[in-house]
Amino acid sequence: MLSMDDSTKFILKRLIRRIPLQMLQKTLSKWTYLREDLDSLDFKQSKYIFTECLLSLFEEKGTTVKRITELEMIYVIENPNQGMWHGFQLSDAEEDAPTVDLIQFKEQFKAHLIELNSHVSIKIKKHTDEAIWIRIAWGSNFTNPNHLKPTYAVHHLQTPYVFVNGLSLKHKPLLFQALVLATRYGSMKDAHLSGRKLTAIRDLLMRQYQQMFPTKHPRPLQEKNPVPTNPKIEKEQAVNTENRMQVACEAFGDGKLPELQKAVYQLETKFRDDSNKTLKSREEPFRGVVEFSSTNLLESLRHAVSSGIAATPVSALLPAITQKRRNRFIITDK
Amino acid sequence: MWTTNLHQHNDFDILTTELHHGKAQCSNPLPIVLEANKVMEELNRTLRTPCNNVKERRSRRRYSRAMRSCVEPTYLGYTPGHQTVLRIPNKRTPKTREVTNQVDPAQVALLVKKQWHLSYVTPLYQFRHTMVKTYSKELSAFIASEKQHGLAIEIGRELGLKANISVVNGLAEMERDAETVFIQILSKPMFAVKDDVPNVVWSGLLTCVNGDLDYLQSLPPEFVSLPLLCTSGSESLTVLVKSWFKKTFDCCFGPLGINATNLQWLAALWTVCHPTRNIQYLKLSWELPTQPPMDVTYRVDPECAWKLWDSVRQENTTEDCISIEEVTNFIRGLQTNFFRHFSLDLAAGSLRTVSTALGSAHHSGKIQIASPDFIITALQLLTECALLKMPI
Repeated sequence: MLSMDDSTKFILKRLIRRIPLQMLQKTLSKWTYLREDLDSLDFKQSKYIFTECLLSLFEEKGTTVKRITELEMIYVIENPNQGMWHGFQLSDAEEDAPTVDLIQFKEQFKAHLIELNSHVSIKIKKHTDEAIWIRIAWGSNFTNPNHLKPTYAVHHLQTPYVFVNGLSLKHKPLLFQALVLATRYGSMKDAHLSGRKLTAIRDLLMRQYQQMFPTKHPRPLQEKNPVPTNPKIEKEQAVNTENRMQVACEAFGDGKLPELQKAVYQLETKFRDDSNKTLKSREEPFRGVVEFSSTNLLESLRHAVSSGIAATPVSALLPAITQKRRNRFIITDK
Repeated sequence: MWTTNLHQHNDFDILTTELHHGKAQCSNPLPIVLEANKVMEELNRTLRTPCNNVKERRSRRRYSRAMRSCVEPTYLGYTPGHQTVLRIPNKRTPKTREVTNQVDPAQVALLVKKQWHLSYVTPLYQFRHTMVKTYSKELSAFIASEKQHGLAIEIGRELGLKANISVVNGLAEMERDAETVFIQILSKPMFAVKDDVPNVVWSGLLTCVNGDLDYLQSLPPEFVSLPLLCTSGSESLTVLVKSWFKKTFDCCFGPLGINATNLQWLAALWTVCHPTRNIQYLKLSWELPTQPPMDVTYRVDPECAWKLWDSVRQENTTEDCISIEEVTNFIRGLQTNFFRHFSLDLAAGSLRTVSTALGSAHHSGKIQIASPDFIITALQLLTECALLKMPI
């Protein structure tokens, strides 16, 4: 009888603990490895007992770490909105870049990464939405690949975008080089866009959401109107509200917006307050970092504009999130 | 064997019942019953205008003198006015030396770096600093007996909980301030080895730093005012300690939040320390009423924050006093600079937290003081807040 070593058991236990009970059945049923044994499992048991049953089943089958990482990938692909996702952009495409297919990419990526670091465990899987999912567990000359802290990278073939989760600074150059070589691009750089929801980051970076473009001749804003004295006040206010709404949608988009959690602005600009002469005349910038955060930042900002918390015209810095497709900026004076 | 029935003097029991009777009528155990309504009105009025009498008082160097000079119709009416002038740490003689000179450094170490939850406390009836040993035993017994009544207490540790009440000498600034009382609840493991150090599971601090002199003088001699309670530890123990104090010293507790004005005060007071002690950053967080709600955090470079502070200082102020106008101008400067960049008015939201390397404060009444330099100033400000919040 084959048996699992302790570290394999530990990895499996950790993974099962991560998956909520109600999602276990669905996740396990997608795993071809377990197809025949699925009927023997009782999903009505408590999670603790269930885990014990599963452990003994795997022990019998002699399940390896590689098999368990398969299950982890199934779970992560189905539930990608965990951890922090960072967007990256490939540039300087070579001539043959658009012809790279999945098999070619797979071979090239594995070969290049193993050449850079021979102690890695790589798994590549293609998802239904054309995205290639890459899971890498990193090791070194002295340690085995660490399966508890894997890096995930998601790349859509024929697009210049890569989304990465759980990458340490140490491994960044290695992954970048392998990706650049496998995709036939010249270089890869930070897109300064990050968030907890992969779908939101992807939609924003690949412009896959409903946008509203400014009309050619924007209507003059109603801001400076005198206080209405006629009986049509309500009508006027309705027009005002409508205008605000339009300005808000032009700035941040229409309909459902990608869920970003944060936007960070590093201010390296001069102090701007006319009443403070001392600081205004100062040459050095007034340094600071401003961070906006919300469960759905773009929605909050759009509401701020449409409800009047933000003054119009809208500051160019805020719509830059959707226009420049990033949420980390350094602001300097021209 | 200690029991929960702790009243040792007969007259105590009688007085307590009388006081409770009094409370039932006008919720006021203090001898200012008749003035109560008038005082409250006055208090409300002054609360709305916190800038009253700034000009007259700014020139006064000592906080206490400023108070004594104000003879106003009701002696509590001007309380909010204190916040218009606050003493700041003297730049030439850093507070560090001062605090550790006055107070045992080991005791100061117990106060810093903890996250404190704040409450206000009404004056304690017949509390004696000389009896803290007895109180320790009584509180221990009370906790043990409450536990037997089935009240919530952390499981597994209940056997070895021991209260230790001590006096922290030197934190009080003025003669009238009662010395600070420090409470610790220690847990001994069930099978403790002889030399095992007991684990501190709860700490509390009852303090009064630079309390309103006229208010303190107006108290009958049998009352001790320690208006500020800081607690750190499990909520269930906080409830037990509070209920023991309530029944033993006939006092009341209430939650003490730190409002936007006081958060602004803290921001300014911390920034002032920068030349002597690097604050590393000044961080302010606002919550804006958008849907969904949005938090805006502004983290300012310490040098820049100091430059801004320096530019809003008024020329005719004395070295160690800062005024509410300066504080308001300081925050307004930050908000204006922010508005010029983002067209968003931070004043539409509410200030939630303020922090620097010297400490952090949250509007819900949580404060952490990371540096001993700042203890006296912070406790003084909080003592004021507690006295203001107290029902009269």
